[in-house]
Amino acid sequence: MAASASAISLPARARKREEEAELVRLAQSGEEAAFEELIKRHQQRVFGLVNGILRRREDVEDVVQQVFLKVFVSIKRFDLRAAFSTWLYKITVNECWDYLRKKKVRPLVYETDLSEEQVSRLDGVASAERPPESPARQAEARDILEQLLDELPERDRELLVLKEVEGFSVQELAEMLDLNVNTVKVRLFRVRARLMDVYQRRVGVHEDHSAAKGRSKTDGSEI
Amino acid sequence: MEARFNQMACPEFEVLLEDHLTGDLSGADAKILAEHLEDCVACSAALEHAAPSVQLLRAAPPSADPGPGYSRMVMARIRAEISKRGEQKSIWQPFVSLAWRFAATATLALALLVTFDAVRHVQYDRQTDLAYVPVTETRDLFPDPAGLPANRDEVLMMVADTNHGKQ
Repeated sequence: MAASASAISLPARARKREEEAELVRLAQSGEEAAFEELIKRHQQRVFGLVNGILRRREDVEDVVQQVFLKVFVSIKRFDLRAAFSTWLYKITVNECWDYLRKKKVRPLVYETDLSEEQVSRLDGVASAERPPESPARQAEARDILEQLLDELPERDRELLVLKEVEGFSVQELAEMLDLNVNTVKVRLFRVRARLMDVYQRRVGVHEDHSAAKGRSKTDGSEI
Repeated sequence: MEARFNQMACPEFEVLLEDHLTGDLSGADAKILAEHLEDCVACSAALEHAAPSVQLLRAAPPSADPGPGYSRMVMARIRAEISKRGEQKSIWQPFVSLAWRFAATATLALALLVTFDAVRHVQYDRQTDLAYVPVTETRDLFPDPAGLPANRDEVLMMVADTNHGKQ
């Protein structure tokens, strides 16, 4: 995803940016069709961004609509010196954080350990060359991954999900979060290690449980 | 915890390690990292530890596009929200315009009061100007008899008067 974004040639990117600037100018002059076109162009990424931060809570759609409303109201103040997408993503990130602050959302907590079946699927995913293809498997894999991600610090988790799942580039993340590019990279590398700590602990705990169960069964049969 | 401590990479190489994991490392940087990894056990272990995360995270598909009709739906909601805000404004509109009218009337009244007061002050000052006669003018009307002589003749006259008085 990030790779595909960087694969776009420079003239094409410049042309796209100029086109977008023209749409912004039209939207600033009150043309609703131009604003609708801007929504069309960015809806998926805004959705991904909100999803990545709010983690599929039921209010994702409301927050996305709130973002676009805010952008519509304040687009006249946008001065076109920065890229429209950067400005839009910054508004989106702030709206998500406001939402989490207002709602005082508690982090989702998964009390239960992963089932044996889940562990084996997760193992399969971690070692597979390609992600699972069927939508049901994808949803399940995502659910399991959510349980692992939940144990990570909130801001680091956001960074990892936005980069690796939603496909934002390091440059985009740095701009929208007001961070240095290298800071983003360091944080990403560290949070990967943390994710793998959680993964190994979960899988390890499960293996310990299975071993204990096996031992007790063996002991019982011996008695 | 101990396991994590052992896998801590050298801080100055973390950026290159991340680039290596995401396949964004090439050229001189790739060579520098490769040479470093040959000597540094901690960085090698950290890289090996973090590497499966790339695959693990691919398990989650990105958010789906909400569809072609979504932008129309959002625009409809924006229009509804804007008109709702307009209506909320219009509820208060009579009070707001009344308040503005009151403020405008009060300002006009205040301006009139200030102007009237200023005019009265000017008139009063003119009257007092007429009543006031400067010292120089009073001297002209009623010359001081004991004033200094203006020329030589006056001096002689004064001396003559004085001598005459003595005799």
